Amino acid sequence: MIDPLIDILTYPPIQRAAIACVLCGASCSLLSVFVVLMKMPLIGVSMSHAAFAGAVLGTLAGINPFLSGFVVCLLAAGVLGPLSDRTDLAPENMLGILFSFLMGIAFLGMGILTRTKAGVLNLMWGSLLTLSRFDVTILAVVTGVLVLFVAVFFKEIRAVLFNRRLARASGVPERMIYYALLFLTGAVVSSNLATVGGLLIFALLVQPGATALQLTYDMKHFFLISAASGVGACASGLVISYIFDLPSGASVVLTATVIFAAAYVFSPKRRRARLKERNRII
Amino acid sequence: MNEQLIALDRVTVRKTRTVLLDSVSLAVARGELVGIIGPNGAGKTTLLNVIAGFERFEGVLSLFGRPETHRRSRESRLRVGYIPQSFPVDPSFPILAVEAVMTGAIGRTGLFRSPGRRQKEEAMALMETMRLSHLAARPLGQLSGGERQKVSLARAILQRPDILLMDEPTANLDIAVQKEVLDLVDEIHRKEALTVLFVTHDFTMLPVAMGRAVLLDHGRMLFDGDIDTALSGETLTRLFRYPLETFRQKGRRFISYD
Repeated sequence: MIDPLIDILTYPPIQRAAIACVLCGASCSLLSVFVVLMKMPLIGVSMSHAAFAGAVLGTLAGINPFLSGFVVCLLAAGVLGPLSDRTDLAPENMLGILFSFLMGIAFLGMGILTRTKAGVLNLMWGSLLTLSRFDVTILAVVTGVLVLFVAVFFKEIRAVLFNRRLARASGVPERMIYYALLFLTGAVVSSNLATVGGLLIFALLVQPGATALQLTYDMKHFFLISAASGVGACASGLVISYIFDLPSGASVVLTATVIFAAAYVFSPKRRRARLKERNRII
Repeated sequence: MNEQLIALDRVTVRKTRTVLLDSVSLAVARGELVGIIGPNGAGKTTLLNVIAGFERFEGVLSLFGRPETHRRSRESRLRVGYIPQSFPVDPSFPILAVEAVMTGAIGRTGLFRSPGRRQKEEAMALMETMRLSHLAARPLGQLSGGERQKVSLARAILQRPDILLMDEPTANLDIAVQKEVLDLVDEIHRKEALTVLFVTHDFTMLPVAMGRAVLLDHGRMLFDGDIDTALSGETLTRLFRYPLETFRQKGRRFISYD
């Protein structure tokens, strides 16, 4: 089974798919730390739909879907940031409205698209085997920027994830960190449209972080476990999709779910909490 | 006369059509421990939020002799420590108590610099002084409310502020833990020579060093003066619009009502 896999890796489209898979896993899983710990999965879902809607509009207008997806993502980040800072609005409601609005735009675009919809559907589900060198380069640059951002601002990110208000009170530029994370979410989501697609990417923005949450109390380990689980899900999902001839995006997402389920079942944190609870009752 | 660290001149806060703080003027000198007391909805937290730089306001606020708005420089924020009433932390959130304390020093470490071992040692030494070292390696989300509040106090102290704003730090704690937190506040105020604003609606449990109280009601200042007059039956009856009497026993205040 190993030899055919190694053989197939000599083909450039497969090489690109493998590299993109690792980059997709790394970038989405790093962001999922932010999405999970700030309890903002709706931001992740809104951004992924913004990217998708932008890409559909780009296809309609005949421009690069990554570029249009990226622009709409940045616009969405610009709206989401101030919205989530407003105390007189329920952010969940506003995010729900924004999410459905973006979904409406995407489907409207698809409805009036007279050409074949295959390209647009690829943006929804992803298509690893049709990735261009340009797609992979963009993904590599965005992932590199994200990794650099996390490495350089790790202590500030930890303070913001812990408590935004306390971080601000302690002189941490929490708004800069928060908005940068939002914009990076937009960049990561739009650059991954071609890999796992605008709909399935949401799973990768939540599951790696949720997996790490089951396993560690250390923030550095949290980032590492999340990254390992995201990259692992993407790589093994790709291999499974090749072996069983399944859609790659769906295989990746289902593998991520299995990894999360295993982490949940064998979670040492949950086991310790159960023991503590039992001792308390005794 | 002591240097004036906080000065508010006719500060007003409005939210849509509601006035949360109505033309409040207040001056606090270095080293004072002032109680901000009032019933729920009096504007106590709003007043603290204005001084902390979390709230937009009308009027003039001066800190350390300089006018300030809700937008602050890092240096200005570093000089004002803040302790919230409580902050929910998920039990599985990946942060240990000592790391939570260290977040207080991040602002003064500055961007592009790693906190390093020295800062961890500093946080551990502070926790030792505050008799919290046994909590250092425990996940913050698994500490009790009282333990978390003490960690929050250590976090604010590590910031090395000149002013400490405390928003009902003893709310929802059982009486023994309230006493421990209050003793810590007194100890810190004495040792660090901090200027403290202590918000509470429970005037029976106050730090011993509190010599002055500001009473707020519906966003307006009702009284500003020495603590004994502020907490006399007459003043409290006016504040709560209910006949109240107070008496002291073994240094503590008690309240009696019909």
